[in-house]
Amino acid sequence: MSATEDRLTNDLLRPLFNTSWRFYVLVAVLSSIVLAGLGAFAFQMWRGFGLTGLGWPIYWGFFITDFVFWIGISHAGTLISAILRLVDAGWRKPVTRCAEGITAFALMIGGLFPIIHLGKPWLFFWLVPYPNNRLIWPNFRSPLVWDFFAISTYLTGSLLFLFLPMIPDFALVRDRATGLRSKIYGVLALGWRGTTRQWHNLETAMSIMAVAIIPVAVSVHTIVSFDFSMAPVPMWHSTIFGPYFVAGAIFSGIAGLIIAMAALRHFLHIEEYLTPKHFDNLGRLLLLMALLWGYFTFNERLTVWYGNHEAEVNTFMVTQSGTFSPLFWTMVVVNFVLPVIILGIKRFRTITGCVIASFGVCIGMWLERFLIVVPSLGHKYFPYSWSFYRPRPTEIVITAATFAGMVLLYALFSKFVPIISIWELKQGAHQPHQPDPIEDVEIAEAELHRTHA
Amino acid sequence: MDRRSFIKLTAITGTSAALASCGSPENTVIRFVPDDEMAPGLAEWKPSVCPLCNSGCGLNVRVMQADVETTRDGTRGVVQRAVAKKLEGLPTHPVNQGGLCARGQAAIQLTYHPDRLAQPLKRSGQRGEGKFEPMTWEAAVAELVGKLDALAAAGNQKGLTIIGDGRRSQRASLFDQFVAKFGGTLSVRHEVFGDAVLRRANGMSFGVEQLPTYDLKHTRSAINFGGDILGTWNSPVAHANAYGAMRRGRPGVRGAYFHVESRVTTSGAGADEWVGITPGTEGVLALAIAHVMLEEKLLPAVSGRATALIDGWASGLADYEPARAEKITGVGAARIAHIARQLAEQSPSVALVGGPALAYSNGLFTALAVNALNQLFGTVQKPGGIAFTPQGVTADSRPSRSTLAAFASAVAGGTQPAGVLLLDGGNPVFASSKAWRVREAIEKFPYIVSFGSFIDETSALADLILPDHSFLESWVDALPESGSLVPVVSVAGPVMKPLFDTRASEDVLLDVARTLAKPVDFPWRTFDEMLKATIDLHGEDAWSTAQSHGGWWPETSQGEAASGQPPTARGAASVTPPSPSAGDAGRFIDPVLAGDADVYPYQLLPYPSLQFLDGSLAHLPWLQELPDPITSAMWSSWVEINPTTAESLGVSLGDVVEVASSLGAVRAPVFVNPGLSPTVIAMPVGQGHTNYTRYASGRGQNPIEILAPATVAGTDAFAWAATRVKVTRVSDPDGSLILFSARGELRERPYEGVTR
Amino acid sequence: MAYRWGMAVDLDRCTGCQACVTACRSENNIPTAGEQQASRGRAIHWIRVERYFEGEFPNVRVKYRPVLCQQCDAAPCEPVCPTYASSHNEDGLNAQIYNRCIGTRYCANACPYNTRFFDFFNPSWEKPLHLQLNPDVSVREVGVMEKCTFCVQRINAAKVTARGEDRTVKDGEIQPACAQSCPSKAIVFGDLNDPDSEVSRLAESPRGHKLLDDLGTRPKITYLEGR
Repeated sequence: MSATEDRLTNDLLRPLFNTSWRFYVLVAVLSSIVLAGLGAFAFQMWRGFGLTGLGWPIYWGFFITDFVFWIGISHAGTLISAILRLVDAGWRKPVTRCAEGITAFALMIGGLFPIIHLGKPWLFFWLVPYPNNRLIWPNFRSPLVWDFFAISTYLTGSLLFLFLPMIPDFALVRDRATGLRSKIYGVLALGWRGTTRQWHNLETAMSIMAVAIIPVAVSVHTIVSFDFSMAPVPMWHSTIFGPYFVAGAIFSGIAGLIIAMAALRHFLHIEEYLTPKHFDNLGRLLLLMALLWGYFTFNERLTVWYGNHEAEVNTFMVTQSGTFSPLFWTMVVVNFVLPVIILGIKRFRTITGCVIASFGVCIGMWLERFLIVVPSLGHKYFPYSWSFYRPRPTEIVITAATFAGMVLLYALFSKFVPIISIWELKQGAHQPHQPDPIEDVEIAEAELHRTHA
Repeated sequence: MDRRSFIKLTAITGTSAALASCGSPENTVIRFVPDDEMAPGLAEWKPSVCPLCNSGCGLNVRVMQADVETTRDGTRGVVQRAVAKKLEGLPTHPVNQGGLCARGQAAIQLTYHPDRLAQPLKRSGQRGEGKFEPMTWEAAVAELVGKLDALAAAGNQKGLTIIGDGRRSQRASLFDQFVAKFGGTLSVRHEVFGDAVLRRANGMSFGVEQLPTYDLKHTRSAINFGGDILGTWNSPVAHANAYGAMRRGRPGVRGAYFHVESRVTTSGAGADEWVGITPGTEGVLALAIAHVMLEEKLLPAVSGRATALIDGWASGLADYEPARAEKITGVGAARIAHIARQLAEQSPSVALVGGPALAYSNGLFTALAVNALNQLFGTVQKPGGIAFTPQGVTADSRPSRSTLAAFASAVAGGTQPAGVLLLDGGNPVFASSKAWRVREAIEKFPYIVSFGSFIDETSALADLILPDHSFLESWVDALPESGSLVPVVSVAGPVMKPLFDTRASEDVLLDVARTLAKPVDFPWRTFDEMLKATIDLHGEDAWSTAQSHGGWWPETSQGEAASGQPPTARGAASVTPPSPSAGDAGRFIDPVLAGDADVYPYQLLPYPSLQFLDGSLAHLPWLQELPDPITSAMWSSWVEINPTTAESLGVSLGDVVEVASSLGAVRAPVFVNPGLSPTVIAMPVGQGHTNYTRYASGRGQNPIEILAPATVAGTDAFAWAATRVKVTRVSDPDGSLILFSARGELRERPYEGVTR
Repeated sequence: MAYRWGMAVDLDRCTGCQACVTACRSENNIPTAGEQQASRGRAIHWIRVERYFEGEFPNVRVKYRPVLCQQCDAAPCEPVCPTYASSHNEDGLNAQIYNRCIGTRYCANACPYNTRFFDFFNPSWEKPLHLQLNPDVSVREVGVMEKCTFCVQRINAAKVTARGEDRTVKDGEIQPACAQSCPSKAIVFGDLNDPDSEVSRLAESPRGHKLLDDLGTRPKITYLEGR
């Protein structure tokens, strides 16, 4: 093992072995917010769902918005890392694990919302097909049952996709640690010895997973979009929703990833590994997605306006110029105008620029989902039944708790797992201080074969 | 499951059930042996009578078993008992014919209301403080007898009087007779939205001082001047039934319907033509229509008693030519002619009048003008026209009565001695203008007895409360004044046992009458004997038929009504001698409005709400949560303002405004109503109770309070639509306006024209 | 032959009087939400009378339209329910099976007529108001959807009676609470499979139309326009 590799290992394993007091404070604060959320959920189950701000006929609100938002964020990792893996983009290597972590955690959180939002959450397992004494299967025609399959498949796939490349790094930790820690990482490393056969199996498994996870990821958000587009609700019942949702998901996913990377870079002092180059590349991707999102949104709204179907125009009008217009135009600014300006001008496409744009996009994409869910439900066909929705504390606390939960899970993740794939980086990294550590993939691979030959 | 595990499981569940019931008394229920004969799970239908308004609709009550909490020999427990479950309209009843309005159906909550008084109460705190303590019936009756004896001993019999609601029934008659025989003062039967004007006008025009029945079933065209016939006025269920038949009951014939008013009501909603009019000028429109008919010779000119009362009828109503009427009424001359032609073409026609049209100073003129129009139509006492329901109880049991305003001033002036006051509904403290000083007058009485089932603003002043049975627990009756072409006496016995320690007020009164030192003599011992005595007049088996049918009416009722026989006024109520002249009521005089037009630019239209009528039903939770048909509001009161007016005042939906008359001000949120005249501010009556059970107390505002004490010229009736107000914006929406249609959308296509 | 229950609402007879709304509440144990909950949109009305203004004073008109569950043949609420709580029964009714419902509220979203209502809390009746409850209708617990059933308890009772007398249900034998109470007889209920029934006759009326017909939900309620 070269000195460079040694340094790399030390740099990246440092968070696992050294923990500052600040970290404990962070965990304590985040945990208390999460606990508040759990308490709110328990209270809501005890007292009744009426603690939310929902009412006739707007029966979906914050929770479903959160659901779609977090499932969207989950498209950060898997899709990005899988696609980059398949096209073998070398710069991806320090990014993949950050991204895949986001996927796994966002999915776990997003997957909770269909349960939280149930009138009877304790019966959520009725969505699961299992032999039961009610002699009744779930209704396979229901998009909610599709959701169950899509999300559980995607979660399984992403966890595998996350776990597989962690094996060599777990082995590394196992070898460096002592005592209990060594044992735990030993179990996680699944007996990794770094044999050629093991490397070969890992590479094969990763290739298969990378291919398999892409259609799953695309389908999962398409199916989430089906929750809306299958219902005859004004501005829901649209064929554009599948790709629109997938694009939106990737859009918000990249934004989430940029924020997470910037945070890791700052707090874990791994500036050398997550370089401006990475942010520049992701910024370009984000710009692309912003343009794509703008295109979809324009398309969606133009067809509605031009089609001039009465009920749809009503919904269109309340978002465009009615009570929801402040939210709508905020969304347009932070989702389109702001990212295009910041990321489209090279001078602004710095790390700070990217982070600002990403925060905007996260807010904007949350608003986008809110603006899909609520105005349509509040403006269905008969104006007599139009209504308002205002969230109540329960929903706000639970929503806040999921954001805290995401940060908490991610912080803990970065504590227990090397947040940058050490072995992947080693494949090509001799000089981690170089702006682009992986310049020549071929050399790296040749070296890899030589090492393990 | 094998035997062993079965036994184990049984033991476990048994033990846990026993443990679970330990400690919490509600789990240890004592079940008494049922004292009723009833078939478990089977419903029985029994007739009853709706007690809420003057219509006297027949009820069909669904009775089934339920677990009733009760006390037996000092032990709390549960007993299975037959109780009322649902009120439906009695299909055979000539008035409502199976239908029943929203209020009537909610009447069941009178019986089961959580704040219903369960035993006699005696005032324990200061008067009006609302503190009462329970007492026994024996003590309560003895106390009342003592007070009345003292009154008689002092020779102050005149000091006994009664204030009640306006229901026509033998119950009311019994109360009145009691007061009369005791030597007391004439009773006050108070209704805010009373119909004294129309009764008087009908007496003048047709010789029948009674509300009319409209035979809409056979009408080809009808014009309604402001009567909310389908919502709150007179006999709404009977009207709605006839209205449905007028519209779609005859193959190939659809009766035309015109509605004239200054605020759209449910009755105006279905009109073929809704005519917005300057309030208080309805009579001018009626005569302008007559003018066109006479001038164009659309109908043969008639002259009779009704037309003779109108100045200038004989000369063709020169003062009411459409062009001049347009200036007064705001209805276009061409439109007037068009309506006149339509009405003349489609005969038989009828003109209806009621509601605010009669609540201006010139109300009597308006009623006489519409009556004259009816005479011109030639449909008085004819199929498709107006009729007067023959009365089933011929003996006039209604002594002439004083109005609440006159009563209050008599008490204040000392001409009415204050002795013992009996309260039998009507809630006069709530349902009166501040200016009448009714509360002060009532408080002058040293002893006040209430027979109501609830504490309200008036009974809170009582010294003694003798709670009545609910109408489902006792004999109940009604004498419909209109709504049927045949005579009707609605009578029914109890459909369930009393839930509480209450007594039928009629029987209490008869009991008191017997027990007095100088007994008041009645030929009956109990109320049902009184009812039987009146029904017995109609034949030998009339009483038994009445008990099973929910009342007495001629057997041929359905057939006669359907065959279109001309209804006649057989045995009609009091007939006044023909009046030679109507005096000032024979010509149009601008309505006099209380208040300076410069300070108070708008007219206040308080209208009986569809849910609560005059406010007496605001304590029923079903009605509180019933969306108002125009605004969709629940649990609220509000101020209706025309869109243009609202714009000029700078207010919109939900903003809180203050509506002030010279007598005071009320604050309520705004509802912008496109069906309201720009010069009118409308408010529903019913909310604004300060003390009326948990469901109504402290909710909304009561516009009656700020009404000026005006009367309709030529009568002593209250002109409740004749007050001027000003409106000022107070604040942004305070959330007190609760709409079922939450956004308050008025239009079916709100964005029509915005994008196109 | 199987029954296919349907309804006709004659808007020319309807006066907007709200009698049907109260009748439904009384028959079907619909809880009273109270002021605070009503202000949050939790008031439940299985049948509502929609009101629309047309024009401005003095040439204004008000249209009333009672809206209840349309018992669609192609009901959007049914396929979306993951637990078959919302499903078609043999008489063509959209049944709502309360104890299968887990409260996803998806059916309410899918319903274009907004006739489904959610129970946000366990219902309560302040004693002794509970004595009024109809023992033939279950009280719905927290977390489930509820809606108009066409008074299925009355339908079933009539079917049992008819079967006992070895005949089919006669036209007019069943009246849901709303139709029974209607003072102007604007609501007619009956079997659409019986070509001679009053409701079948009205369903063929040239005045008739279905609500949101273009959505393809195939409702079983026909609305008869005034003019």
